[in-house]
Amino acid sequence: MNHVLQYIPGNSVIHRMNPVTKLLLTIIICVCAFMTDNLFFLLGLLAVDLMIGFVAGVAGRTLKIFRGLLMIAAFLFILQALLTRRGTPVFWIITDEGLMGAGRVVLRLIVVCMPLALVLAVTRISDLTNALVQHLHVPYQYAFTLATAIRFIPQFLEEMNGIMEAQTARGVAFDQARGLKKFSMILPLCAPLLISSVRRTDQTAVAAEVRGFRLRTRASAYRRYTFTALDAATFLFCALLLAGAILIR
Amino acid sequence: MIEIQDLSFTYQDEKKPALEGISLSLREGDFLGIIGPAGAGKTTLGRAISGIVPHHYKGDFYGSVTVGGMDTVDSSLIDISRLVGMVFQDVDSQIICPTVEDELLYGLENFGIGRDEIPERIGFALGKVGIPELRERSIGSLSGGQRQKVAIASVIALKPRVLVLDEPTGELDPQSSRQVFTLLRELNEEFGITIVVIEQKIMLLCEFARRLLVLNEGKAVHEGETRQVLSHAEDLENIGVNIPRVATLSRALSRKTGKEIPVCINLDEAEKTARGLMA
Amino acid sequence: MIELDKVCFAYPAQGPTVQDLSFRIGDGEFVAILGANGAGKTTTVRLIDGLIKPTSGRVIIDGTDTASSRVSDRARRVGFLFQNPDRQICKNTVREEILFGLETVRGEEGAEALGHRADEVLQEFGFTGEEEPFSLSRGQRQRVALASILAVEPSVLILDEPTTGLDYRECCHIMDQIRTMNREKNVTVIMVCHDMEIVLDYASRALVMSGGRLLDDGPVPEIFRNSALMERASILPPQMIGLSLRLGRGFEDADTPESMADAILRRKKEG
Repeated sequence: MNHVLQYIPGNSVIHRMNPVTKLLLTIIICVCAFMTDNLFFLLGLLAVDLMIGFVAGVAGRTLKIFRGLLMIAAFLFILQALLTRRGTPVFWIITDEGLMGAGRVVLRLIVVCMPLALVLAVTRISDLTNALVQHLHVPYQYAFTLATAIRFIPQFLEEMNGIMEAQTARGVAFDQARGLKKFSMILPLCAPLLISSVRRTDQTAVAAEVRGFRLRTRASAYRRYTFTALDAATFLFCALLLAGAILIR
Repeated sequence: MIEIQDLSFTYQDEKKPALEGISLSLREGDFLGIIGPAGAGKTTLGRAISGIVPHHYKGDFYGSVTVGGMDTVDSSLIDISRLVGMVFQDVDSQIICPTVEDELLYGLENFGIGRDEIPERIGFALGKVGIPELRERSIGSLSGGQRQKVAIASVIALKPRVLVLDEPTGELDPQSSRQVFTLLRELNEEFGITIVVIEQKIMLLCEFARRLLVLNEGKAVHEGETRQVLSHAEDLENIGVNIPRVATLSRALSRKTGKEIPVCINLDEAEKTARGLMA
Repeated sequence: MIELDKVCFAYPAQGPTVQDLSFRIGDGEFVAILGANGAGKTTTVRLIDGLIKPTSGRVIIDGTDTASSRVSDRARRVGFLFQNPDRQICKNTVREEILFGLETVRGEEGAEALGHRADEVLQEFGFTGEEEPFSLSRGQRQRVALASILAVEPSVLILDEPTTGLDYRECCHIMDQIRTMNREKNVTVIMVCHDMEIVLDYASRALVMSGGRLLDDGPVPEIFRNSALMERASILPPQMIGLSLRLGRGFEDADTPESMADAILRRKKEG
């Protein structure tokens, strides 16, 4: 199962960065996206997102995420453009301000979501949690919960597919429905999913416990996450982005 | 190594006891198979040996379980798990980390294994289960059999003295199932690890386990050397436990000849018995 | 009637999972598909029901091509029992679960008729109907799943490792029920199964697969007697067949412990 959040092994500069740095870069991009209203700056941030993906050697995944986000964005764009009443009409009920506003909203959405998804493609979740615990002193329990939640996403999806398949074979017309309809059909069938998830979480808790979950401390992690010149350069880049966002509102 | 005396256990919020009056004594280096119908208490017994009952699953606990001299009720779950490794029934919920190497590191890191020793332990465990090439792989990309091996590797990296496995071949095909049991035999013979394995595939138990415990409705029906337990074939059939066809054959021969024919537990023995009769 | 004609299937960006698969299965047959993990067995049964469509070649079931028809439309005539019953069960009581399946594909018959049919099935399976599926054992849950599939009276039943995780008694229970359907209602059964003793006991024909290809196709005891084939497919034949092969001539018909004992004693008498 290859899903959109799965880690892709590699040895690119992005892979070699300290997980904390990657997280910082992600957050800075998000912050910048919310600070600026300038369409060109947002486009610039999008270019940065895409560049990160290409430099990390995960171009395929990057484009996949981008395409997925574009679909959601298109929907939001239309909605936003139709609902905005201010500004001069361009045609029908669409106004220039509506178009600009909608553009900003969807660009922001894409710019923010891309690095969040990408960071998981280029960072092992355990590296992320270990580094958070080591450098940012996040309590291990929280980091673990987060990591487990992310780890269960593919299993959850697999299970969901399995349920849909089983129900289709029984005559529930999943193969004739699309989008929202499909979603509304699967909800009532989620009892099995919930039950198996609850059962799983409990078993995972036991499995973690008998392998020393409670003994874990900040110093436990085998891998060390040091900061190198690469990270320093990235910090500088982050500062520049932030300054840019403040200057080019 | 494992001493169980008159163990009874009832899960919280349940009326019927899951185990009733179980006594069992295993020496270091034993290889015990546990078999019985669904709801017989097999998993509960596995949990009791690894201390998960009563530490994680609460309930009324009577009698005593001692592992390596530690009373499981008085010792902490952590202390017991230093000695007892547990492989759970559902592999997917047992694997905690997203990649194979991380999964092995997890227990090693927590139990404070020295940094210089960790690479060797990982190499050992992956080599032992025969998957060194999977080290960097993500768990999601592995087959069911490979995941099962990862789960076992992550436990044997901790070098437990006792290994408890709950239906480790449940989702595997016959060939992979045999591989798992061959591995257990190696661990047992080379390192003297005491093995307790819950298993429905009677043919595997006949071939690999030295002792058998048959459970039914929380009680021990038979316990002892594999061959001796299988000589009670009728009892086993009555409670719905499968017996190998060769054992059924030796029973049929006994019945038809009116003579006592010793129970066969594998093909070689059956062939010998058949040739002996025909000669 | 089910017909596969030169069927290939490959997941995107992967090598083929099954290749050049051609066979026919007639009405009322009991067919087992054998092979090691990764041989393509599950892919094959999913292709048969159209859950996946062939990359090339054709799958014809009930006179329609799966490429141009929908799985959900087929559910009335083709039942599929999966390895994991929990993916199917979605209601709070066994009766509701069985009714859900009935309403989905036989809704036009009206509540009364369906209620009647549900009660019939409950009785056949020995359920009261008020049981909560998720408090039952895995074997019982598998029987709930089977009951709700058989309730709609399909003419084809596909089973993907139906006995995984079940104890021996539960396993026989389910297989006996399937055999009854096969014999009394002429239901075609196609089963993927790893337990060769079960295959020997229940199936009459076996398709042997390896590496995504069909190695052989034939009646069950004969297939198991082909040692070279078993080796190629990494299958260990059932014990009595293994023994009869070792004992050589005169034991060709000894498939069960009972007939094996008789054959041995006959030989003994003959000296």
